[in-house]
Amino acid sequence: MSDLDDFKATYFDECSELLTELEEQFAAIEEGERHADRLNAVFRAIHSIKGGAGAFGFTALVGFAHAYETLLDYVRDGRIELTDDVVVLCIRANDIVADHVNAAQSGEDLPADYGADEKARFDALARGESGADSAGEDDLDGEMVDEFDLDFTPVMVNLDAPTPTGEAPVEDVFDAAPMMAAEGQWEIRFTPHRALYARANDPLLLFRELAALGKMNVRPILSDVPPLSDFEPFGVYCTWEITLVAPGLGEDAIREVFEFVDGDCDIVIAQAGTVPGLVQDEPEVVAEVATASDEPDLSSLLALTEEEVAAPAEPVVPPAAFAPEPPAAEIGPQDSFDEAPADLSFAALAAEIAPAPKAEKAAAVAAPVAAAKPAMPAAGGGESEESSGRSVGVQSIRVDLDKVDRVVNMVGELVITQSMLTQQMDETLRARYTELVRGLEVLAQTTRGLQDSVMAIRAQPVKSVFSRMPRLVRELATKTSKKIKLETIGENTEIDKTVIEQLSDPLTHMIRNSADHGIESPEKRLAAGKPESGTIRLSAEQAGGNILIIVEDDGAGINRERVLGLARDKGIVAPDITPTDEQIDQLIFAPGFSTAEAVSDISGRGVGMDVVLSNIKKIGGSVHVRSWPGRGTRMTLRLPLTLAVLDVMLVKVGGGPYVVPLSSIVETMQCSRAAFERVPSGGRVLQVRGEYVQVIDLAQRFELTSQQNPDDQFVVLCEAEGNQKVALVVDDIIGQQQVVIKSLEENFESVEGIAGGTILGDGNVALIVDVQGLRTSPIHQNAA
Amino acid sequence: MEALSLRDDMSDKTAAAGQNTLQLIAFSIGEQTYGVEITTVREIRAWNGATPLPNTREFVRGVINLRGTIVPIFDLRARFGDGQTSPTKNHVVVVMSVGDKWVGILVDAVSDILTVNRDDIHNVPEGNSIDTELLNGIVTHESRMVGLIDLHAVVSGAKMDG
Repeated sequence: MSDLDDFKATYFDECSELLTELEEQFAAIEEGERHADRLNAVFRAIHSIKGGAGAFGFTALVGFAHAYETLLDYVRDGRIELTDDVVVLCIRANDIVADHVNAAQSGEDLPADYGADEKARFDALARGESGADSAGEDDLDGEMVDEFDLDFTPVMVNLDAPTPTGEAPVEDVFDAAPMMAAEGQWEIRFTPHRALYARANDPLLLFRELAALGKMNVRPILSDVPPLSDFEPFGVYCTWEITLVAPGLGEDAIREVFEFVDGDCDIVIAQAGTVPGLVQDEPEVVAEVATASDEPDLSSLLALTEEEVAAPAEPVVPPAAFAPEPPAAEIGPQDSFDEAPADLSFAALAAEIAPAPKAEKAAAVAAPVAAAKPAMPAAGGGESEESSGRSVGVQSIRVDLDKVDRVVNMVGELVITQSMLTQQMDETLRARYTELVRGLEVLAQTTRGLQDSVMAIRAQPVKSVFSRMPRLVRELATKTSKKIKLETIGENTEIDKTVIEQLSDPLTHMIRNSADHGIESPEKRLAAGKPESGTIRLSAEQAGGNILIIVEDDGAGINRERVLGLARDKGIVAPDITPTDEQIDQLIFAPGFSTAEAVSDISGRGVGMDVVLSNIKKIGGSVHVRSWPGRGTRMTLRLPLTLAVLDVMLVKVGGGPYVVPLSSIVETMQCSRAAFERVPSGGRVLQVRGEYVQVIDLAQRFELTSQQNPDDQFVVLCEAEGNQKVALVVDDIIGQQQVVIKSLEENFESVEGIAGGTILGDGNVALIVDVQGLRTSPIHQNAA
Repeated sequence: MEALSLRDDMSDKTAAAGQNTLQLIAFSIGEQTYGVEITTVREIRAWNGATPLPNTREFVRGVINLRGTIVPIFDLRARFGDGQTSPTKNHVVVVMSVGDKWVGILVDAVSDILTVNRDDIHNVPEGNSIDTELLNGIVTHESRMVGLIDLHAVVSGAKMDG
């Protein structure tokens, strides 16, 4: 893998985190939490996505993100009100950004006009504002430029006679040529921030790109360079002025050159002859003049991010105040640009490092401007504190998951070795080697702690999966013309990362199923006396050693008659078997089963719910569905907290060892003391505290011969999904221990009634009993 | 070679002995000798029991622990329909890779490593479907007939209803 691929992979990792963050922020904004922090977080996320996209040349993504960012910027500084409509548009925009990211990641091309509608709506929103308020449009976006040009050009006219000052250029000699606003002559003022260099951008490359557009002259402005004593090695002190003569060139084209550094620099672009007018229209320049005056705090101000600089959106000082000011002290010499050599002046760039004795003078000249604006440094200071606080925050490193997995596996083996050692200690050994016993006890504690810590590394909040669901529900609601609300609960519940990764597909299928088959159309709902809008509730909670993920809807529930009919038609259920309601409900997970009236493009192809089951089984979990006709359906995923180590009870069936997950065991008892009852099918039920529980004789089910006297056998009472109990009859109970789950499917295939295998201390394989699978497989029901 | 469609894992690897020869691990089941290409063999180990798997066909003897991974064991005699082997410590499990999976095959004994010429591989005579299903071809070595096992076919159909 090349370095670039590495960077790309990191970028996409970050993108998915940022997109998750976007969903979160907007979920809160939708709830009505419309404060600035949220918007700032959104803005930062979009900006980061755009920045990386620029670096990798994902132009479509950059274009859209840029337009979106501009909209956000307007919202942030209050020029556009954050109405519900805008929120909806933003959420839609997030989806589009996500699509762009996905397309970039998979190397696919989206249609060229993808997101164009939304882009147009951004523009329309922005235009609606700009008509009312012609002052201060910063960060002009390519799409909007035309509009704003019309707005501010006339304002500039009254300032067309700037005073050239003593701020002489470093090398070129200028005669005071009259200011000719030549057609196609652009004056560009480029003030990089420190961040621009930090992101490895090089002004030289930008200038080269500009030079390709027309005849260009670049001049460094060194007035900000402090005396050597105050010089900070990483400070950014140089600003450039560029004259670009390119007839017929639009401002967009120039903006485009600076697109990838947008936000990391201040850019002022104007037709020649209008430059001083820019001062009032461009808060960046204002900020910057203040910066110059504020020596020697220059470096701290330069460290401001673009948000901070752009923050004082409305000019603090009325434009009139600028007229007599000499802001031209820095901008002045541009009137003779057209006399200067047209090609890129490398010498001018080199002059960046030359000492500039004029710095103080520049400060003095700029001082009145600063004085007129005391608010600025204060505002900037406050912001920069915040930004430094942000960068400290939580310290984290990115680690390859494989490396973590290796540790997890080794810890798993360690735990098992430890428990095996402990088992070897019989009473005589314990009495003889007390030190050894103590050592083993400490070892047990330490390994347990080590195991917990390692698991904590892998644990992640389910939020990362849940946050993808609001979008899905929105899309489903649109496609099915239903009104659906998604509620999420417990999204901070933490589960093993592998489990989380495996969770996305099943959850998607389950929510699709709920939206497509569960929730009724608004008319039907109203007719049934339900609220027009259906609700899907997605929740996560920890229950003992398991995580329960529940997808619940208040829809029509499962049509059991139809399900059973279809299952019989498709041969999933034999004609002579009459499943219980609950078993019928589980049938929706059978492969090839689908009840959709018509095959829609959302669901109904009969793949989906069986994918849920197989995915969940793969990670050692189980699925249970419960439905109430007319009231809704609840699907419960029971997942192990961790995939690495499982607490189990070791039992003997037909002479061989089997393990039952401890988390599912309620109690154990001797068969001689258990109250079995016969039922007409020939099977047995167990009466436990007034409850009748299905009995499964494991030896019989696994086609083994039990050597045990039935009265000496044991009953292991397990709890399956939906608090449904099942009694497993086993020959003997050996004890509890921890095991590492091993996949049977890795080298073989899934086996009914078996959830996986594990390796015991003696090196033999023991099989893990799939309690849920045994209970709900209707085909073998008669075997018990 | 043209007449014979060897599976990919058999044909794309060339034995060290040369372009047109094939090295086989030969093993016996009763009086019969069978062979698999040596490059597919990962390990040969003595039979040490296996954990039986419920709800599988009789030729699936169960699973063993092979350095931390679970590997299924197929009883080749049972697969050929001659009933289950009654394994002793002298029986041998040949661990092989089939596709991306590792499987073990229970045989009576491993007898030899044979180098055969690819041109000497004959088609399996039509007739018994078990033969054509489970063998890729037949080769004669020192006047003994060696059946080339089709591993993919051997390990398929392990489930009760499959």
